[in-house]
Amino acid sequence: MSGCGFVESGFVGLVVSLVLLTLVKSAPIVYAALGGVISERSGVINIGLEGLMAAGAFAAAVASYSLHAGWVGLLAGIVAGAAVGYVFALAVTKFKVDQVVAGMGINLICSGGAAYGLVLLFNQPGASKTVPQLASANVRCLNMNAGELVLVVLAFLLAIALHVVLYRTPWGLRVRATGENPLAVKSAGLNPLRFRMLAVITSGALAGLGGAFLAIGELNLYSDGMTAGRGFIALAAVIFGRWTPLGATGAAVVFGLFEALQYWIAGQVAWLPADALAALPYVAALVALAGVTGRVRAPAADGVPF
Amino acid sequence: MRRRSLGNAAAPLAAVIIIIVLMSIAMLVAGTSPLDGFSALIAGSLGGRSQIGETLVATSALLFPSLGIALAFRAGLFNIGAEGQLLVGALLAGAFGGSVTLPPFLAIIIMLALGAIGGGLWGAIAGWMKAKLRANEIISTLMLNFVAQYVTLWLVTQWLMGPAAIGAETAWLPNTYWLPTLIPHTRLSIGILIAIAIAVLLQFLFTRTVLGYELRAAGEAPEAARRNGINLPRLTWLSLTLSGAIAGIGGATIVAGELHRFNTQLSPGYGYVAIAVALVGDLDPLKVCVASFFFGILEAGGLAMQASAQVPKDTIHVIEGIIILVLAARRYVAQRSERVEAGSL
Repeated sequence: MSGCGFVESGFVGLVVSLVLLTLVKSAPIVYAALGGVISERSGVINIGLEGLMAAGAFAAAVASYSLHAGWVGLLAGIVAGAAVGYVFALAVTKFKVDQVVAGMGINLICSGGAAYGLVLLFNQPGASKTVPQLASANVRCLNMNAGELVLVVLAFLLAIALHVVLYRTPWGLRVRATGENPLAVKSAGLNPLRFRMLAVITSGALAGLGGAFLAIGELNLYSDGMTAGRGFIALAAVIFGRWTPLGATGAAVVFGLFEALQYWIAGQVAWLPADALAALPYVAALVALAGVTGRVRAPAADGVPF
Repeated sequence: MRRRSLGNAAAPLAAVIIIIVLMSIAMLVAGTSPLDGFSALIAGSLGGRSQIGETLVATSALLFPSLGIALAFRAGLFNIGAEGQLLVGALLAGAFGGSVTLPPFLAIIIMLALGAIGGGLWGAIAGWMKAKLRANEIISTLMLNFVAQYVTLWLVTQWLMGPAAIGAETAWLPNTYWLPTLIPHTRLSIGILIAIAIAVLLQFLFTRTVLGYELRAAGEAPEAARRNGINLPRLTWLSLTLSGAIAGIGGATIVAGELHRFNTQLSPGYGYVAIAVALVGDLDPLKVCVASFFFGILEAGGLAMQASAQVPKDTIHVIEGIIILVLAARRYVAQRSERVEAGSL
């Protein structure tokens, strides 16, 4: 390529390539982590993030394939995440299903449902056919496509937006209050379950968007297991980021860095085993979890049904 | 609080009805008549000696992790990491059995012990993190599943590849190391008897021992347990270690009993499905045995259903997820009716 010399040459080029790869690998974790933050701030631990991402990824691939338009896929991913989020929200609010149990149920339903859908719609198990991407044109010098660039930028904008919503609006205050002391919210004449419902549905939409990023932003298909635990890593990012949107985003970028490092190191140092490096992001999340948890405080009513 | 016997009978019944209704829908959507679909499922799981054998193989594979999960859940700990614990236990057993020459009986005992050690170690990591650092065990066990997946893959491909391996697997165990077959002309080994023995032991543990009482107290009323001098951190790591060890023995029995080698793909998500099994079995060891058989029918019959009736096997996982949701919701309904009854007195 021409005109991008600084990106391609020498040490600076290596660092730049790592930073760009980190951004791409972080984005889906950022979306899911933001979903995790809003859900947990309202008092709902969302173990279902992984399944919600799979639902978003699958819906995005299907919609993009059948309507030949990436942006429709993106919307479909968001809507699918919100829809499954609605089911999860109903289960944990109205029916008071244990949040962890319900979340694992959602994960099984989504991954199994997508696998079933692949056979029904694409007539092939394992992966969908190739689908149109959100925007497949390469961005000059950045080593990513236009769709990835837009969604990476959007991820960070949404982090700021969620920060403003949570800390600067009445709605955000009520969501946070619901996560700390739902009874107090109820005493104020408001319905805490309504805030939990809305927060969890938003959480689903965000995770669905993260899934859509994987299916039609970064790649151009849905395949079984493509979320690869990112929804779970996002949960660790929420804790590491102390239940704040900006903190969780920062943590998601750290985990994204470890995922990027895995490819980057494998590209630079051929003798290091790729399979062992693949465990890096998960080990990083474990270490982060071990290092930070005695010193942070979860929302008081996090995980407690109302 | 004791649940009523009516509620207990309703759980499996509800599960069966949900399964029949939802699977009929899934079959219709896939273009198969439910009659054909179900007959394929039943024929494929109970229709003959080898089919029953396969159903019991799946039952056994699910029973170990389900019992481990039931133990942890009873102690109030969400061990979602049975999948990884099973895998690590299986790897240690397979690596040992495929490379060491010993008297067969001793080798089998050591393989099972290594399964317990591997799974127990994997559970102990989460237990230690929870007890010492107060790290959420849900997330740590989940992360450990992925670490186990990649580390076993790495160890096998790097050092332990068998000579005639197809895919990532260790060398075959010499056939003297194989667990004896339980039903002739099937793949079913005596591993399932070990699982049932563990279930009986767990039942004894819960109902007749101080440790079992402490575990249940820690699960049901941790604050009261702590005030009564029960050492919660000790119980935390102990129950997660035991829970992992049981799943790990399960991994070792898959290796020594059915596969006769370690393969990185040896579990199609048993550790996750086992969560549904443990819940359907009400976290009661003996009921978990029945629930495992039931899910064993689905797992084994699902394959046959896919082959002969063109209904994707993944349908089963969707239904398992829905069962988890509905059964956990049923608890709420039961509690509410109890409250209403109490109020009417």
